[in-house]
Amino acid sequence: MAILISFDIDGTLEVGDPPGVLTMDLVRKTKEAGILIGSCSDRPISGQRAIWEQHGIEVDFAVSKHQLPDVKQRFDAEIYYHIGDREDLDRQYALAAGFEFFWPDEAVSEPWLK
Amino acid sequence: MTTEHAPASMYRATEGLGVWEHKGKVAAVGIGHSPTTRRWDGTPENTMGANSIFALRQAIADSGVDPSQIDGLVLDPVTTTGAHWPPGDPIPMDVVNHWNKTDDPLDGIAKLSAEWILKNMPELTNVKFTMYGQGCMSHAIVVAAQAVGEGRTHTCLVLKSWHNLEGRYNQSGISAQGEVPGTFALAPGRTLWGAPGSYGTALQFAEYCRKYGKSHDMMAPFMENSRRNGLLFPEGYWAQHRPEQLTPDDYLNARWIAKPANLFDNDIPIMVSGAYLFTTAERAKDMKQKPVYIINHASSRGAQRSVLPTLDEVEAETAATGRKIYEGAGITADDLSFENMYDGFALFHQFHIEGLRYRGMQNGDALDFYQKDISIEGPDPILPSGGNIGSGRSRFWMHTDCIQQIQGRAGARALTGVKPEIGVSGGPMPMGGNFTVWSATPD
Repeated sequence: MAILISFDIDGTLEVGDPPGVLTMDLVRKTKEAGILIGSCSDRPISGQRAIWEQHGIEVDFAVSKHQLPDVKQRFDAEIYYHIGDREDLDRQYALAAGFEFFWPDEAVSEPWLK
Repeated sequence: MTTEHAPASMYRATEGLGVWEHKGKVAAVGIGHSPTTRRWDGTPENTMGANSIFALRQAIADSGVDPSQIDGLVLDPVTTTGAHWPPGDPIPMDVVNHWNKTDDPLDGIAKLSAEWILKNMPELTNVKFTMYGQGCMSHAIVVAAQAVGEGRTHTCLVLKSWHNLEGRYNQSGISAQGEVPGTFALAPGRTLWGAPGSYGTALQFAEYCRKYGKSHDMMAPFMENSRRNGLLFPEGYWAQHRPEQLTPDDYLNARWIAKPANLFDNDIPIMVSGAYLFTTAERAKDMKQKPVYIINHASSRGAQRSVLPTLDEVEAETAATGRKIYEGAGITADDLSFENMYDGFALFHQFHIEGLRYRGMQNGDALDFYQKDISIEGPDPILPSGGNIGSGRSRFWMHTDCIQQIQGRAGARALTGVKPEIGVSGGPMPMGGNFTVWSATPD
């Protein structure tokens, strides 16, 4: 089953400002599990790509907050998740785009692997 | 010593006043900045008050004056536009008591009095003049310039500080109340009850695009140039914390905040303090840095007919501001080497520079101008400081840049396409602000 996971950065990933609880190792492990991954953040897209490059993680997409519907259109998956720390800019955007949603502390246990 | 707000008589807010009577008799010499951070970390060492002291001491050292020579202090007592201390939240008394406090426990944390500064800078033994210029550094500068010109102070520190607290901007203070006045809810920004802060500017910009056949996409070169200049400003937030360029693609892919204002058309709130040392032209000759002479200051106090200013009102007011700036300095638009008008929001910078008739610009010309070479290397530099877009919300990068460019201390940001002899800076809003003309020579 194809799974796609979109990560917010600030407040979600350990490299965010503020730092979040999700480690880059978790992202790496997710990628290695064959899951489509990428970021959806208010950071400039070029800045998002720079973060991934800096950590040696090849992502499938890097988009702005309002572009989750484009991601869904571009990638064929059975289930789409977005992980973020904000009700308005993460959860609401995700649900409106047809994504499932996890808060960062919920995502730590990697529920998509279960 | 009681500190008063500057009286209306200190501002040059109307046309027809002639050349400023103190033209070239006041000079900026020293500059100081605190480090930037995104938000306060809760420690006493990193309060806004601590940043203020750091910046002031830097400005004093930069000038090479003994602190005992300083007899004036002008500052803005308001240190945020949207990060208000939440009512009912406990005030950290360990932080308050770390400093010499005033009667207000938030003094030095979320507001700033001259009294707090003087209590915590014992080296300032001779300050006899204090005054508030409320709103931003642009305001404090014109008050300090006029005060030095009038002889109220001969060696004066000018300070603007910003705090930023945990949580989201504009969602505490009155915005957190269950009811707010209708006028507050309708006003642009500062409230989660109404539209985003940039919506007024966005509406004016939309009308501007319709009237002159322009588009939001045409802002991309301006945004790229501003961030580039900001990354060459080592004192700024982006240069210090996230040295990443904002590409046209990044800009054009950002989400709308108040269409046609997108995320990056809004500046990022930060913690930072900036300070300058002003003195008389005579005293400046003996100080450590090259004097930068103030040859005029002017103020805009535009009145709008309704809730928001219309494009027509904005264009009329910025044109009047331009005329006041030139009249008081005794110069024309052709004499400007560069401009550093305000940009936080990015979508009103063109109103300021069209009002100035910068490089012969008329209303509706600026976005075409942005498609040409507007870099610091070219003959027509736009906002060499990078402004708030380039370095975060301080409302003073533009003034620092004017002083540094003319002093020859702008480093990698130094203008090379023009010789920096006369610059203009100021803001904030097209309908209301304060502006200063800086010059390498007093006349």
